[in-house]
Amino acid sequence: MNADRTFRQPGRWAVLAALVVLAVVMLFPFVIVTLNAFKSPAEYSSGGPLSLPHGFYLDGIVAFWDRVDFGLKLWNSLLISGVVAVAAVVLSVLNAYALGIGKVRGRLWILVLFLVANTLPQEALVYPLYYLSKEVGLYDSKLAVILIFTVIQAAFGTYLLSSVLGQFPRGILEAAELDGASRWRMLWGIVVPISRPTLSVLLIFFFIWTWNEFFLPMVFLISNDNQTVPVALGVLQGEKMMDATMSSASALLGIIPAVAFFLIFQRTLTRGITVGAIK
Amino acid sequence: MFRVGRSAAVAALAAAALALSACGGSSDDSNSGSGGSAESKTLTLWHYETGNSAMGTAWAQAMKEFEASHPGVKVKFEEKGFEQIQKTASMVLNSDEAPDIMEYNKGNATAGQLSKQGLLTDLSEQATKRGWDKLLSPSLQTTAKYDERGIMGSGKWFGVPNYGEYVMVYYNKDMFEKAGVKVPTTFDEFTAALDAFAKKGTTPIAMAGAEYPAQQLFYLLALNKANRAWIDSFELYKGKVDFHGPEFTYAAQTFSDWVKKGYISKDSAGMKAEDMGVAFIGGKFPIMVSGSWWFGRLAEEIKDFKWGSFLWPGQFAPGSSGNLWVVPEKSKNKDLAYDFIDITMKKEIQNLLGNSGGVPVAADPSAITDAQNKELIENFNKLSTQDGLAFYPDWPAPGYYDVLVAGVQELINGSKKPEEVLDEIAQPYNDNLADIGN
Repeated sequence: MNADRTFRQPGRWAVLAALVVLAVVMLFPFVIVTLNAFKSPAEYSSGGPLSLPHGFYLDGIVAFWDRVDFGLKLWNSLLISGVVAVAAVVLSVLNAYALGIGKVRGRLWILVLFLVANTLPQEALVYPLYYLSKEVGLYDSKLAVILIFTVIQAAFGTYLLSSVLGQFPRGILEAAELDGASRWRMLWGIVVPISRPTLSVLLIFFFIWTWNEFFLPMVFLISNDNQTVPVALGVLQGEKMMDATMSSASALLGIIPAVAFFLIFQRTLTRGITVGAIK
Repeated sequence: MFRVGRSAAVAALAAAALALSACGGSSDDSNSGSGGSAESKTLTLWHYETGNSAMGTAWAQAMKEFEASHPGVKVKFEEKGFEQIQKTASMVLNSDEAPDIMEYNKGNATAGQLSKQGLLTDLSEQATKRGWDKLLSPSLQTTAKYDERGIMGSGKWFGVPNYGEYVMVYYNKDMFEKAGVKVPTTFDEFTAALDAFAKKGTTPIAMAGAEYPAQQLFYLLALNKANRAWIDSFELYKGKVDFHGPEFTYAAQTFSDWVKKGYISKDSAGMKAEDMGVAFIGGKFPIMVSGSWWFGRLAEEIKDFKWGSFLWPGQFAPGSSGNLWVVPEKSKNKDLAYDFIDITMKKEIQNLLGNSGGVPVAADPSAITDAQNKELIENFNKLSTQDGLAFYPDWPAPGYYDVLVAGVQELINGSKKPEEVLDEIAQPYNDNLADIGN
């Protein structure tokens, strides 16, 4: 026992060291961004990106907030990501219930189709989506982005949930069927509560992924009143000039909500993942 | 990182719409309809200049004057990101959400492309009627006019530039003084100055090989052996360009020599323009050869030493008009848009642009108060009157920017001989010529 322990020790230290290195690598960009967000442009130019700020220079953050009306952008992002997350999860559950538990003919091929759709680059979708949205009068509206991302996220969600529900204990469902539960009732009364942890994980992922989307929102949200946070951050990238300190300030403002959201739901996340693992 | 996204079977879209109207539809109303044709009258205007830049300041004033002279009309200004406009312009202008007037990038691949697609309004009549063609010098008009192939230099007016830009030499006065080097007026004096710094162990030129500065210096060297006909051949396809002719051969050879002599650091191959600027602002180099777009930032951020600028010793320098005001074909208020452009060309607005550190195209030099701004503008006027604006080396072909970056990097690294680099940059240029049918 003792020998075993000492034998194990160096290995553990190595793992710990590797994790620390990894953490530093991951956190380094955040540190740089935070450092430069609180620097004045002159300080940045004379000291470079790695120097410590001399004071707490908040003008960059305040100026950026006012310049792009950041409060409104936050609300837009929140609205779009929130609706997409909920709608995509609901859609995924409905699809996956049919594909994973129900006996839809050719379900394997349907799943393959979803998988292939998942690998399409967004650039390939832009023009078709642009024409469709223009035809139905949804170009430059939040609803267009919500619809698009609900479908995009639900495609992944359907694929994932179908394989999860494919493993669903049949016995429970058969028992419920004997008791006379309708299909609808079985979905909401049994399947959804039991897969709750997986669904919460999906919800959180959908929210964060949608929040971080840049390309399609940039194309579809034309007027400033509709724009999301990542698109607003793009305003700072000039043709030849970049404003390093203000970019940092905006990047900081941009990641705070996603990080906060992650921290709040972090426990749900880990729970969901471990539940999945035990299954 | 595995990115989800993508997908979308059109059939699923319908399903999504159904699901959404059930649960999420009530919470968003969207479709705010920014056009504003319903209200009294609104001029929707987009540009992508920072609010405190010279253009941003002057245009804000122009909007005020516009509202004052057009009672009942409101200007709805939206600041856009450069990238957003670049990537989405053709889609936006093809829809009903097009603004009434917007700033757009000059050049064949940008404004030229849109004009070819019929998305921009022909401004020729307005240009003569309102006298814009008199205010702008011929080399500035080059980027305002596009022919039916979308190639600049001739044809109809599709844009109006408000400001100019050019590449010059910025120098650190303190370092010049300390080294006992005088401001050079000829090319020989310029190389002598570089040599004096190099002998003292200072690398004279701040450089960025990974971005535009290196190719602009390379082009400057070629221009010293060139004439207007050669520039027109290279930029406007008016003749054949021999990449092994005296112009480019001299440029490649000299550039490579300068690296060997230590005028340009070997480490600069991987530098970005931002690094170059920060190094110059930090007082690490006595000379930076770059564009007027740096001027405002230098004025604001250099505190520890005196600095100035002078024209590149030679007749030509990279430069052109700035970006353009364009009026989308789908603009709902074209007349108001013309009025707005007219206001931006007025003396007061142009002078304000100059006094804020920009390069106006139609200002009154005597109204410029700051000595440094005055120097900047006078140098531009001098260059413009000696027909010295030579455009930019990456203009002739799509994707040529990256070709040049790679080529000049090889000169800095010394990984290829000058002749080999010339072959490398000749190929894509000639391919493009074949593509457009010249």
